[in-house]
Amino acid sequence: MNNAVTLTPDALLVEPTGLDRMWSFTRRLTIPLAHVRGATIDPDAAAEPKGLRHPGLAVPGKWAGTFTKDGDTSFWNVSGRRSGHRRTIVVQLDQEKYQRLYLTVADPRGTVDAINAAITRRT
Amino acid sequence: MVGMGRPRSFDEHAVLAAATTAFTDLGYEATSVDDLLRATGLHRGSLYQAFGSKRGLFLAALRAHLPDPADPSGSARPGATAHRPSSGAADADDVVLLDLLLVAVLELAPRDDQVRALITRALADHGAPDAAALLLGRRLLARAHIDPAQPSREDPAP
Repeated sequence: MNNAVTLTPDALLVEPTGLDRMWSFTRRLTIPLAHVRGATIDPDAAAEPKGLRHPGLAVPGKWAGTFTKDGDTSFWNVSGRRSGHRRTIVVQLDQEKYQRLYLTVADPRGTVDAINAAITRRT
Repeated sequence: MVGMGRPRSFDEHAVLAAATTAFTDLGYEATSVDDLLRATGLHRGSLYQAFGSKRGLFLAALRAHLPDPADPSGSARPGATAHRPSSGAADADDVVLLDLLLVAVLELAPRDDQVRALITRALADHGAPDAAALLLGRRLLARAHIDPAQPSREDPAP
């Protein structure tokens, strides 16, 4: 597991775990649910060009930190080679520093369903 | 509801039509984001920017095909025909909507309150409680090339 994703009644919390906390230079992201537009299981996203790295790490199979591409700023914390890439989810945001989060999580299906259900309840 | 970000630079109708074909051919879960990018011609970032998620794209496709409740003719969009449950054969638009509904009922509605509510409303608008169930059931069998009126006499040779 690279990222612990939890939901409060009002926010989505993303906490890179272990060494990923250091590579990504991020202790915790707190996103108000009102700024979360949706979550998707997207294993193929790990194969996309990531763009330019700001602070962060890019070594084969592992991307952590802030990347910009085509004017979009994204937070990446994806690793584990194939097994990790298969567990990649994408969270689209609005009115935030990051337009998009690319995260390896332990349970992609459960995490994506929980995020989408949480934002649906608010609308 | 949150804003929709940058203005769109694509033909939304064409994108939704292409996504609909992918979803109805492969099913919801089996359609990957890469499948949707190939079908729609969108880049990954544009797809997420426009629809928020794969689920958001599916919902947009479903809404585009559902009859507009504000439109007394029941048309889903200009040029689309209203449903005629009494007529025997469903037309092409009806078949696409029924296939989308089948995918939604089978794969999303069991664990998605919003999709379930949307479908429940759409079926309620359809008239007699059993009319929609009959249409969906008939389409499910027709999709599988099964004609209950003509049971095959013999099994295919092993």
